[in-house]
Amino acid sequence: MTPILRTIDLEKTYHKGSIDIPVLRGVTLDVNEGEFVTVAGRSGSGKSTLLNLIGGLDTATAGRIVVRGADLSEMDRRDLALHRRHTVGMIFQSFNLIASRTALENVTLALAFGEHPRSDRKSRAAEILSRVGLADRIDHTPGELSGGEAQRVAIARALANSPDILLADEPTGNLDSRTSEEIAALLRSLNDEERVTVIMVTHDEAMADAVSDRVLRLLDGRFVEEQTGGGAP
Amino acid sequence: MKFGDLFQLSLENLWRTKLRSALTTLGVVIGIGVLVSMVSFGTGVQKNVTQGFLDNDLFTRLEVIPAKINLDDVMSGNIGDIEIPDEDTPPLDDEVVEKIRALPGVEVAFPEIRFPVRLKLGEREARTHLRAMPASMGAFKPFSEIAYGRFFESDGEGSIILSQKLLRNLKINLSDDDAPPPPTGWEPDEEMASLPSDSLIGREVEIFTSVLDQKGLARAFMMGVPPSPSRMPLREETVTLTVVGIQTTPGSFVSDRLQSGVLVPTETANGIPRLGFTSIWEVLGRDADAGGYPSLYVRVGAIQDLEPVREAIEEMGFGVIAIGDQLEEFKEDFLIMDALLGAVGIVALIVASLGIINTMVTSILERTREIGIMKAIGGSETDIRLIFFVEAATVGVLGGIFGLALGWGVTRLANVIANSYIRPAGVAPVDFFYVPVWLILGALAFAVLVSLLAGVYPAMRAARVDPVKALRHD
Ligand SMILES: Nc1ncnc2c1ncn2[C@@H]1O[C@H](COP(=O)(O)OP(=O)(O)OP(=O)(O)O)[C@@H](O)[C@H]1O
Ligand SMILES: [Mg+2]
Repeated sequence: MTPILRTIDLEKTYHKGSIDIPVLRGVTLDVNEGEFVTVAGRSGSGKSTLLNLIGGLDTATAGRIVVRGADLSEMDRRDLALHRRHTVGMIFQSFNLIASRTALENVTLALAFGEHPRSDRKSRAAEILSRVGLADRIDHTPGELSGGEAQRVAIARALANSPDILLADEPTGNLDSRTSEEIAALLRSLNDEERVTVIMVTHDEAMADAVSDRVLRLLDGRFVEEQTGGGAP
Repeated sequence: MKFGDLFQLSLENLWRTKLRSALTTLGVVIGIGVLVSMVSFGTGVQKNVTQGFLDNDLFTRLEVIPAKINLDDVMSGNIGDIEIPDEDTPPLDDEVVEKIRALPGVEVAFPEIRFPVRLKLGEREARTHLRAMPASMGAFKPFSEIAYGRFFESDGEGSIILSQKLLRNLKINLSDDDAPPPPTGWEPDEEMASLPSDSLIGREVEIFTSVLDQKGLARAFMMGVPPSPSRMPLREETVTLTVVGIQTTPGSFVSDRLQSGVLVPTETANGIPRLGFTSIWEVLGRDADAGGYPSLYVRVGAIQDLEPVREAIEEMGFGVIAIGDQLEEFKEDFLIMDALLGAVGIVALIVASLGIINTMVTSILERTREIGIMKAIGGSETDIRLIFFVEAATVGVLGGIFGLALGWGVTRLANVIANSYIRPAGVAPVDFFYVPVWLILGALAFAVLVSLLAGVYPAMRAARVDPVKALRHD
């Protein structure tokens, strides 16, 4: 089985003046379709950097990222935008919803960028929002939602254009432990039921073990060990 | 993203910051308003003057004067170059008039004969000038369009054509419905009579002129007192003429000298005894200049005849003044005037465009995270750029439309004010402003163009926002 995502000797070096800051120093990773992979590691180890590279928000210094056979390093900015639009969906620790738009409008905006037929957007957005458990909150703005609810809107938005891979960068980082568990469980159920591949970054080892198929640990820009998570079937 | 969605998103963004969008738009509104009112004043003046020229056939007439005067020299103050007519300069006499009449292209040529008279209509009296006019001029403007009555049918008939202005001096107001209204500030008094033109046409008027009293003069010489010009022995002569027509002077920037005073057919006018200055010099025994008219009026058939006729007359040694051939120069002057007036509006628009840039850069700084989000959920650089571009263009279109409305309102108001203060007496209301279609379309296009140009930098900047930096949590 060919993996849906493959990174090969991925390197990312930031430059600050004349100083090189190597963040990723050869990350090789295969993720199979439908897998739930968690990336752990201490702060500054390059977890967000890795996710941003896979998400096409940033470009690698060396190495390759291949998603469904397409090499991101060969894509121009327009192709990367299409990659973000259709292939991946991103979720962030700080939700990153547009404050002036309601839950529904945050989702329909993603549908508009995905050139989803206009007449169908509202019903599709409502459908996804009810899938993440927010059927009764669709007309609320982010300011009127709890952290857990806001993250559910963000998940719904990430799912709007039916991506192959969900990229979740510390999705529970701003939430209490109970809500964190609920969000993790939601991601797991989406992975199970919608067959969407999930790559999640977290500090919470216990949660990582509980929901993931696999936990990868980043240290000094490399994966140091790999273990099978408790969430594996 | 589809353009319809981009457009909607841009409008939503503008609506979210209503006050700021409105103030930015107001800048464009004022800029376009100033531009439109300024340029429409320029085009208004141009239209009025050109129309006045056309109405009065000024492009096909020229005036012959005894000396060859270079009008450009006079106007530029280059007096030294002006040829002063010397002894050899031929007089503008009837022989010259005949020669000019014979030139190809010339339709009418007649000398200027004009003298002061006293005019009496019933008990009413006024001073005016009498101008001799050949009946052949009835074929041309403005005499082809006498407001009431008719023009002369022959050069010898005992007719006179009065003007509305003279009637006012006689304290007669034309009561005809279609008569131009009196000038603003003109108030009728008790002696004023309101009469229809019909009741005046056919009436007789008396014309009084002064002539030299030969007997009195002889007496003065015999008594050894040579008369000084201020104490000339004068005698009054009377001629009775029938009113055949009344001229009105409708609103026009170019008032025609030929229309001033009262008109009398050439031969009749020549027959009216009068005092000429030449005759005074003759009487005083000075070496008289061989007579001649002060100037001749020449009318050609078509605009293109003007130049050859002008050259032929200059060959004869006379000076020619033609307003018509200055048309091109006028056009240039108008262009310069329009450019200067337009420049004021353009400066206002440049200020407005700086306002647009400022507003948009501010809004990009505020919306950096939002731009990052839009990129993360699949917005391309083109999408982001277009969203900001459309915001700028919308400001431009709205600013252009409301600016046109403002400009139009300002010109209407200014027109009312101008007409009530600076309109010359006896002239009907004039539209000082003219908003041609090209100005409307041009102003709109310009507003959008300026706004788009102002949007270029902010839009590029928005598109270049680094999503990783924009989304990094605080
Ligand atoms: N634009 C940049 N310029 C220079 N250094 C950067 C830049 N972005 C990130 N870094 C550095 O790269 C390293 C990795 O950052 P990254 O955000 O990927 O860490 P992380 O593993 O996600 O940490 P955390 O768990 O705190 O989110 C950090 O040391 C950071 O300082
Ligand atoms: Mg991070």
